[in-house]
Amino acid sequence: MMPDRKMFWRILRRLLAANRGRLFVILLALGAGAAITAALLNLQVDARRRLTTEFRAFGANVVIAPSDSGTSAESPRFLNDSLFADLTEGMDSSNIPKAEFLYGVVDIARLPAATDQQPGASTKAILAGLEYSGSRPEQVLSPALVSVTRKAASGQILSCAVGPRAAAALQLHNGEILVLTSDSRELSCRASVLPSMGSEEDSQIFLDLRAAQTLLEQPGRISLIQLSVPGTPRQIQSCIDALRSLPGADVRPIRQFTEGEAKIYNRISGILSATVGLVLLLTALCVMAAMTNVAMERRNDVGLMKAIGGATRRVLRLFLAEAALLGLTGGILGAAIGILLSMWLGKAVFGVAARPRLIVYPVAVALTIIVAIAGAYPLRRLANIRPAAVFRGEA
Amino acid sequence: MFLRLVADSFSRRPRHKLLTGAALALGMAVATAALSVSLDVGDRLAREFRSLGANLLVTPKADSLPLEIGGVDYRPVNSGAYLPESDLGKLKTIFWRNNIVGFSPALETPVDAWTKSSQTYSTPAVDAHTILIGTWASHSVSVPDGSTYVTGIEKTNPWWQVEGRWFNDDAKECVAGKTFAARSGAKIGSPLNLNGGGKHLSLFVTGILSGGGPEDDSIVAPLRLAQELSGKQGQYRRLYVSALTKPEDEFGKRDPSTLAPADYERWYCTPYISSIALQIKQVLPGADVRVIRRVAEGEGAILTRVRTLLWLVTFASLLAAALAVGASSAASVIQRRTEIGLMKALGAASSTVGFLLVAEQLLLALVGGGLGYSFGILLARLVGQKIFGVAPAFSFLVLAVIVGLAAIVTLLGSAIPLRRAARYEPAPILRGE
Repeated sequence: MMPDRKMFWRILRRLLAANRGRLFVILLALGAGAAITAALLNLQVDARRRLTTEFRAFGANVVIAPSDSGTSAESPRFLNDSLFADLTEGMDSSNIPKAEFLYGVVDIARLPAATDQQPGASTKAILAGLEYSGSRPEQVLSPALVSVTRKAASGQILSCAVGPRAAAALQLHNGEILVLTSDSRELSCRASVLPSMGSEEDSQIFLDLRAAQTLLEQPGRISLIQLSVPGTPRQIQSCIDALRSLPGADVRPIRQFTEGEAKIYNRISGILSATVGLVLLLTALCVMAAMTNVAMERRNDVGLMKAIGGATRRVLRLFLAEAALLGLTGGILGAAIGILLSMWLGKAVFGVAARPRLIVYPVAVALTIIVAIAGAYPLRRLANIRPAAVFRGEA
Repeated sequence: MFLRLVADSFSRRPRHKLLTGAALALGMAVATAALSVSLDVGDRLAREFRSLGANLLVTPKADSLPLEIGGVDYRPVNSGAYLPESDLGKLKTIFWRNNIVGFSPALETPVDAWTKSSQTYSTPAVDAHTILIGTWASHSVSVPDGSTYVTGIEKTNPWWQVEGRWFNDDAKECVAGKTFAARSGAKIGSPLNLNGGGKHLSLFVTGILSGGGPEDDSIVAPLRLAQELSGKQGQYRRLYVSALTKPEDEFGKRDPSTLAPADYERWYCTPYISSIALQIKQVLPGADVRVIRRVAEGEGAILTRVRTLLWLVTFASLLAAALAVGASSAASVIQRRTEIGLMKALGAASSTVGFLLVAEQLLLALVGGGLGYSFGILLARLVGQKIFGVAPAFSFLVLAVIVGLAAIVTLLGSAIPLRRAARYEPAPILRGE
């Protein structure tokens, strides 16, 4: 057995070394196939994750409101502002961006520039006390609102962000002083006018939550919490289920976004899977063509092997071993290139390099080996070769 | 003689030709499928994104400041301005009218509601103070050009789910929000009494609505009834428009008033959300059209990325198809060394031999590419049906690209072995070396 195996490897080495040009072509085909497969697989895994992050551009997808809330302005119900801490006890909530709101109706007026002037006309508006946390608050609030409140936080005087419609109603300009009145309590703040967002925020006034609680005389209370829960539709649902535990609070998904997202997510990942399947098919085809080529050229070799007593099975095993070895080499080289390629592609598409997934590498190599062996199918014809016919030079 | 040689080559080695042809057809089929799916996918996805609902909001320009929380206006009925309902048909006359997927007006009015018929209107026993949202469920709008267009809240808020059925716009029916139904005891098939603005109405509940927002705690009824209760006949306060748009690029973000006339024309004739907003403003006098930024921008960003991703993927599969086909046509040329040697020995010039082989390959490319195209269209239909439920539209572009690609790829694939074949010395080949 021992010299047999030695001979096996020796023949294999010779086979590989015999035609370097062709070896190179087959390796190139396998490598290219493996590279494209690995790149697409990696991109697919990464794109799914990246898409869920992209969806967060839509803003909050979960709200926590007081249960059986009539959110009517006349009979508001409230949540305790320590609620969220209770809710997420034992959960990793640090990466969930969150915003807390307290709503109330106030009279707003513009403070005249000179003291002897009459105060400007007043009108009723919705005041939203606002506090946010999480590393990326722009995933739950409009980016404009975040940047305005951020900038304002550094100033000396209390500042508020005014929606463009509210500002237009008072003819209020950036940097002017706005007076808010609720019952007999009064508060003035420096206004920054927000750009139009096309939603109800356009007619609201945003103020720091603590100041709003004092003004509306609702200490420690909030009306609404908005969350932007990251992840796939299933992860979002399980997070909602986990949050549902507390009585007095009603946790509900913003269906507009959760459902739309789930639908779109499924479509896109369906397309990606379909393309990966198609590309695998093509790689197999590529290798098959190269292997047919090999089979044709090897007729004489096989004829000789058989003539000097090589059993068909052993000859076949030899060629399969060759194919597997080629697949392994091509796969290892190609998949490495492919993963680098996918990082570059990820950068081109999503602006962030795709994170290389370790699982993709062995999968791509294994697929290439399978494809190489399956591609060796044309070699089966070698079994039918009759040595005598080959030596006579018959086709 | 030339044609005879070509015909002979096909008839003498049908199996070989079949194999190369099959490889070609399969490769081209995959390329066709990838190309037609990704050509189609942009439009499909844009349509999918409309499941996020309206991306444009129309409000009266001369309005007082709305007191809105969670999309419901809490202002008293007699404050603020309204827009005429009769103008709405004009929405389907704008330049991008076919991109308007749906629209629905809304008019809110506060009401007292109770379910038991025994109670008198003046003393409702159950305190079920709520908001009645008047809108269209499925309403035929007459368009000025004489046609009618059916639209409503189902198009602009597709995530609103109704257990039971939507109300009929001409009947005295309504759907009750989930939370409201739970607290007032309203049930499907039972009457609901309303008292608002000094008027009384008795409506038939046809469904329970669950939308996940404040609408869950209100009643949704035909716009006509809300107008009747609030005394604002033929008017509405808000209009939601859902439009198919092109993601705004650098050009689309520019201020249209600063554009040169030619650029303005181009901007106006591109379905950017802002140009559609302007066109709506032009047909609805007194209206202020605002882009719902969150929806529009999120959609734009994701759509752009997915499109880029799919083009990259398509390009990769085209590349793989080209490699596969190129390799198989290279194989088919190499196999014919002896034949080439014989031809040369009989006095054929290298160019004649090359020409013959190229003609054969092209014929193969045409047949294989054509077969592959028809097979690929079937594949694309299958994939499209599975993913979007709709088969992609037929496109001549794909056919042209595929046949062209097949020809180029087979020629390129044969080019290297052909060049080598041109250098063959007949004698060693014929000796079998």
